[in-house]
Amino acid sequence: MNLLFEKLCVLSRSQKIRNISIQFVFLIFVGLFVYYLVSKTLQLDITLSHFASRAGFGISHIFYTDYTSNDNRWAAYLAGVINTVRVCLVGIVLATLLGTIMGVARLSKNLLFSTISYVYVEILRNTPLLIQIIFWQIIFLQLPRISEALTLGNNVVISNRGILLPFAASNENGYGGLWIAIIAISLILSLSISFYINKQEDITGKVVKLYNFRLSGNLIGLLLFFTATIVTYFLLQQPYNIDLPSLYQNDKGTYLQSGGFEFTPEFGAILFALVMYTGTFITEIVRGSIQSLPKGQSEAAQAIGLSNYQTMTLIILPQALRSIIPPLTNQYLNLTKNSSLSVVIAYPELFMVSRTIMNNSGRALPVFFLILLTYLTLSLAISMVMNIINRRVTSIGT
Amino acid sequence: MHKIIKWSFETFFGSIFNTLITLISLVIFFFLINSIIGFIANSEWELVRVNRRLLLIGRMPPEHEWRIWPILWISSYLVFSSISAWASPSKKDLLLISIGIFIVCLIFTTSATFIFVISSLLICIVSYGISYFVCKNIHNNYYKKFLITSWILLLPIIFAILLLGDGPKPTLWGGFLLNIILACVAIGFGFPLGVLFAIGRASSLPAIKVTCTVYIETIRGAPLVAWLLLAWFVLPKFLPEFWGINNISVVIRAMIILSAFTSAYTAEVIRGGLQSIPKGQLEAADSLNFGFITKMLLIILPQAIRVVIPALISTFIGVFKDTSLVFILALTDLLQVGRIIPEQSPEFFGRQLEALCVVAFLFWIISISLSSLSKKVERSLGIGIR
Repeated sequence: MNLLFEKLCVLSRSQKIRNISIQFVFLIFVGLFVYYLVSKTLQLDITLSHFASRAGFGISHIFYTDYTSNDNRWAAYLAGVINTVRVCLVGIVLATLLGTIMGVARLSKNLLFSTISYVYVEILRNTPLLIQIIFWQIIFLQLPRISEALTLGNNVVISNRGILLPFAASNENGYGGLWIAIIAISLILSLSISFYINKQEDITGKVVKLYNFRLSGNLIGLLLFFTATIVTYFLLQQPYNIDLPSLYQNDKGTYLQSGGFEFTPEFGAILFALVMYTGTFITEIVRGSIQSLPKGQSEAAQAIGLSNYQTMTLIILPQALRSIIPPLTNQYLNLTKNSSLSVVIAYPELFMVSRTIMNNSGRALPVFFLILLTYLTLSLAISMVMNIINRRVTSIGT
Repeated sequence: MHKIIKWSFETFFGSIFNTLITLISLVIFFFLINSIIGFIANSEWELVRVNRRLLLIGRMPPEHEWRIWPILWISSYLVFSSISAWASPSKKDLLLISIGIFIVCLIFTTSATFIFVISSLLICIVSYGISYFVCKNIHNNYYKKFLITSWILLLPIIFAILLLGDGPKPTLWGGFLLNIILACVAIGFGFPLGVLFAIGRASSLPAIKVTCTVYIETIRGAPLVAWLLLAWFVLPKFLPEFWGINNISVVIRAMIILSAFTSAYTAEVIRGGLQSIPKGQLEAADSLNFGFITKMLLIILPQAIRVVIPALISTFIGVFKDTSLVFILALTDLLQVGRIIPEQSPEFFGRQLEALCVVAFLFWIISISLSSLSKKVERSLGIGIR
């Protein structure tokens, strides 16, 4: 008996046994908690069967799908997801541009330029995004009423119902999809050809020449792309026309607008707010990364006679990109999640549509899991793309 | 004089590109200043003056209004003692702080509350002076310990003042008070939880690691509004039924969700700090035969948290800004009050921008003072400087 006790004492001193027992106790608690949650969940209806029924609510911004309120809830949800993806894609591109410009501006020797960047960051970073969304909505709604709409030579119509811009409208001959495909293929082709020629030029030092005129890879690629797209455009009997917006009065005297690309106040407000807000964080990231580079880099660039612009684009930014991209990914994810705030101005994206579905169906939990899954998918997609870019960027020069 | 002209010519018109930038910046400046002046010329701040009580404390009943003042006194004492004890502000900082307080007082003081505001200002000045002289003295360690203890006790004290003796229901809290309470609770509970989750995620035991990772990533996976909506619809069904916990007020639900959210984000920040600690520190602690808890409390956490203080503060600023999202739970926080008041009375119709500006200013002034604090800490730790 004494021997057994001593053995137990020795065993209890062993790190391995202690680790296992700690985990065991921990898992029991977690298991009890999960069991409690699951047992509560099972009392609720967690199937998504109600998604097959009629949605019964209209969505004001339909893009790419033809959703009506008679469709089922899946279609409504899809329309919401497309709206989210749309605002996120445009927002990410614009926020990156704005953030990079402002981040470089913050370090510029030009006092005016750096002041603008400083004021921009300090004001917009420290106010809630929600306030900014509402602010931009108020600004957009203060545009003139539609009866006094501003028109720019019949190309642009600006009123508080939205800004109408010229847009491409597909012709009825059905070649539109084919043309888009050709554009995509020729884009990839011309990019790879110009990349190949540039690389050959770097390796061999030989230059492609046409009557003493140097043809660089970029020029060839551009030429190829534009000739391919323009020639096929006419070959396919002009699959797209320019669709000009129009403003007219019907017989009762009410003003109506149609045609063109409609940039609605809601979309504009959420886009502006997201871009401005996320832009401040990207500004700080860009500034921090540039500042973290050793000063010798920019001095060396100046020593070999590069201009300020060349120093920035050829020396500083490519190196800074390595430390920019991981936090940038984080900001993109934040932007995606923050787009759910557009519920406050009734831009019908993923979150607002699913809130309506929750209210209508009374089954919140499964819809919530769907939201979680959708945002997770979007986040994973963004992280995957950014990881690929990150691998490329970090592999340069190693 | 010659030098100044040469310098300004070189900075603004040094090259063609630079000239272009200067011109564009001038256009932007002109546009901004023009629109700001236009806005100020046409604005009427009567709306804010009439509704300042709503903006600050929401629908709190007038007979409970006295509960606000002790809270203001205690917190102003704590804030100013701490500023003087740790931050050692320069004259410029002090000037900015006093200008900020002056503007806030200018907007929000009424004749009824005049005496309370004056006493609060006096407490600010006196507490600053007291801790300035005490910290010069030999007792400064005891005083700092006292201050830290009172910071920890601040939340219970606030709740005691607000709730004890038949206080108003939490649903009646509103306005800026609600934002500050929510932010304090979220940080007060979220930070310790976040430290625990960060340690768990960095742990070598697979079960603990996986659990903590799943928790953190799930919370971070969905936006805060979605979680708040979940609290609105589903959380009551998941809470146990005894003591009527499943009928808790919406404010408490918002607090639970915000704390969980803060803990996940804080855990990620602290994990970064834990990863930055060299392994030698752990081995040294082991060789001194420290237990796990001693090792964490004395060796690892102080170093890890010190590295990430700037990131932590910006997370806290984010949480403070995120408290404006409780509109989804139909709570009237500052932003909601600011949105509602122009619609309530016909004489202020179309004055949303003025209300929004005041709301934004209140959020901004807290956030900017926190972020300048984080810059100060960063500088004193020597993180940003190489």
